[in-house]
Order: sequence, then C-alpha cells, then structure tokens
Amino acid sequence: MVRLEPYSPTPAARAGRVFMVVAPFVMGLVCVLLSFVPLGRIFGSSLTPAFALMAIYYWAIVRPEMFPPLAVFTVGLVFDLLSGGIIGLWAFVYVLTYAVVISQRLLVVNAPFTVFWFGFLIVAVFAGAVAWAVVSIYYGRPVPPSSLMQHMVLTVAIFPIFAMIFGRVQARVLPGS
Amino acid sequence: MDPNRTALPFREFSHRISLVFMLTLAAALLLLGRAETYVFDRARQVVTDLAAPLLEVASRPVAAARRVIERTDEYAYVFDENERLRAENARLLAWKEMALNLEARVARYEALLNVQIDPSINYVTGRTVSDAGGPFVDTVLVNVGRDQGAKSGQAVVDTDGLVGRIVSTGPKASRVLLLTDLNSRIPVVIEPAHYKAVLAGDNTEWPRLEYLTNISAISPGDRVVTSGDGGLIPQGLPVGLVIQTSDGNLRVQTFADRGRLNFVRVLQYEFPSQVERQDPPDVLKGPPISSSADSAASAATNSTGAE
Repeated sequence: MVRLEPYSPTPAARAGRVFMVVAPFVMGLVCVLLSFVPLGRIFGSSLTPAFALMAIYYWAIVRPEMFPPLAVFTVGLVFDLLSGGIIGLWAFVYVLTYAVVISQRLLVVNAPFTVFWFGFLIVAVFAGAVAWAVVSIYYGRPVPPSSLMQHMVLTVAIFPIFAMIFGRVQARVLPGS
Repeated sequence: MDPNRTALPFREFSHRISLVFMLTLAAALLLLGRAETYVFDRARQVVTDLAAPLLEVASRPVAAARRVIERTDEYAYVFDENERLRAENARLLAWKEMALNLEARVARYEALLNVQIDPSINYVTGRTVSDAGGPFVDTVLVNVGRDQGAKSGQAVVDTDGLVGRIVSTGPKASRVLLLTDLNSRIPVVIEPAHYKAVLAGDNTEWPRLEYLTNISAISPGDRVVTSGDGGLIPQGLPVGLVIQTSDGNLRVQTFADRGRLNFVRVLQYEFPSQVERQDPPDVLKGPPISSSADSAASAATNSTGAE
C-alpha cells in the first residue's frame, strides 16, 4: 500500500489563506481611508458616509469570526487618529455597535436584503445616537446634530452599493461562505 | 469526545471576553484622551504622516473629476457667465480708480505719520488631500508640512478667504482646523462698525459670533475680517458675511466653501511683537576717556599738518 506524504501547503497557498483571513479587516481599513478621500467634493459637498460602519455591520452579520472585536477596535482607533477628533470615540461606538449587532445577528443573517438593510438603518441610528451622546458629554453641551443626521442618512442610502461590493469580495475571496 | 464540540463554546466565550475587553479599552481611551494629549498627538501625527501619501494619491482622481464637472458647468453657462463678467468688469474698473486714489492717500498719510506697518507675509501653497471624515470634526489635511515651514497656529486661506488654522504638523502634511469646527475660535472684526468678536465654530455650516458687545450695531451683510488679536492670524483677512438665522441669531456665512476646498495657502506670519529680547547691560559705562583724548589729539595734529 502506498503511503501518502503528510500534506504541507505551498507558500503561495499559505499567503492566500492569510489573505482570506485578513480580507475583511483589510476592507475595514480601506473603508476608513475612503472616509477621508474627499469624494463629496466631486459634487461640491463635504459630506462623507460612514464607510467603516458599513464594513463592520456587513462582516459582523455575515462572517463574525473573520472580523473579531480586536479588528473592530483597530478600525475605530485608526479612524479616530486620522480624523483628529476625540480619541476613542469611534473605537467605542464601533465596538458597542458590533456587540449589539452580534447579539441580534440571527434575526437578519438569512433574511431578505430589505430586512438586512432595515437592520443597518437601526444600527446607524443607534451608532449615531451613541456618538452624539458621547460627544455632547465630552464637550459638556449638546452638539448640533444636523451634520450627524446628514452623515447617517447618506450612509444608509448608499449601503446597498457597498453591501453588493462586500458580497462580491466574499464570493470571490472567501469561497464556501 | 469530539474536540470541535468543546472548541465551539470556548471560542464563543473567548469572543465575548475579547468584546468586553475591547469595550473597556475604548472607554478608557475616551477618558485618557483628554489627559494624555502628548502621546495621542504623537500617535495621531504618525498615522497621519503614513496615510497622507495614500490620501494624496486617492484625492487626485477626485480633483480631476471635480474639474470635469466644473468645466461642463462652465460650458453650459458660458454666455451668461460672459455677460455677468462684463458687467462686473465695468463695476470693478470704477472701483480700481477709487482704490488707486485711496492707496496713494494712505501711502502719503503713512509717510507723514511714520506708521510701522506689519511685516510682509510669506506663504506656501498646498493642496487639501483629505476630508473631515466624521460628522463631529471639521479638519482637513494639506500636503504642506514642517519641511515646507508650516507651524501650528498659522492661518490657511484660499482664493475666497480664511479657511482655518494649522493645529498640528508633520514633516510632509499638516492638519487644518476649519472655521466651522467645534474647537475653532478666531478673533474677528465686523466692518464697517468695527466691533470686535470671536468667531466660534459649532459644527454647523455657519459659525457663531461670540463676545459681541453691541449686537444692535451689526446687521446682516456686514463684512467680517480677522482682527489680528492674539498675534497668530494676520489682521484683515476676509472671513465672511454676517447673516441672520431664522431664530434671530447672528452668524457668519464664510467666504471659503469647505465643500470646494482644493488649493490653499499657508501664511507664514511673524507677529511684530515677536522681536529678540535685548536686556540692558548690568553696569552702564560711558565712553572711555583716554580714547576720546587720543582722538582729540590726533585731530589736532591732523589739522596742524594740513596747515
């Protein structure tokens, strides 16, 4: 009987596997960078959506094991450092939102896209409310919420586009999901 | 026993522990961020310097797309724009005559009164490479850093007026706090009444006017310029126009549009009071007597020789 050699993956296969594991996190970081690219100026506006929140929600629902709390925290912290705002604000908001999403994940995980989208609407409202409360406490007075509301409305409005992109990446890079 | 059956609850448990730990860490950061500013400022600068080249590359297609849209708009309204520019040109020619007369008169007065005018302002031009990113912060990154002479506190203007001031600098990039940010405070003067106030950003599109002593003397449409108080920002930079909101408050519509920021100038300005300190000597000494006597003697000798 022929004895089989123990299987050892090639370096390329290993690299591919590492990429598969870190792909959602890398996409989260790309979303953070994208938030600072002045895309709104194409249309003469300074409004940018919360791309990172979309990535966190999507991967927390679809593949939570590939987007652990450490990744969420890192994404939030990088956002805080790049934005020049309150340190820890978005790290805190994103980790708290992630915890809520994980706890309610089973409600939307196999539901139609409209339910998935509606879930994101609730998550965006929750994240916005927490962020507004933290900032208002930090400055000791209620902060005008108009720009936050515009930010979240835009985020919810363009979520389907990004959900589609994440879905494509998931189908290509993470087969079997 | 199947090891996977024990691994699953353990993984879930570790996931929950990790979640609680990260939440605590984020909350601790929120509290520490206020106290330990130096460490976080350094971290912020390092991350900003790393991200600035990427953002600069990413912002170029955006700027190109913006130019295409602007060009299309310009072509669509070229005739109307031409008419408007002709009318404006006629008006400006009259203003030019008046400005030349006033310039000559001011120069004459300055010469008569020996007025010490402010030193000239140097500037470095850069491009905004990033947007604010979040709804609670109004800052942008410009690709002018310490290597180009940028310093914290320097004013940043675009073609329309004051944009903000630099709050942190790295070797290649600087962060500009815009006038609309919650933390922005700029000393201004409202013309023509010449009342001083502080322009305070509050995360809305129109910053507030604070510490205004006489509100009744100000009316919508008045011009707001920098006062130069505090010595950071030069005097007389155009900021915006006074507007009245629906609730009756006076706010300022800034000339600079944060949605259209592209090329900006970083003003390198030295406040006139920042001169080198000159301490008086400990003991005041008169001119040495011997040397004056020698010079008098030599002068006498010279005059004798000339005779």
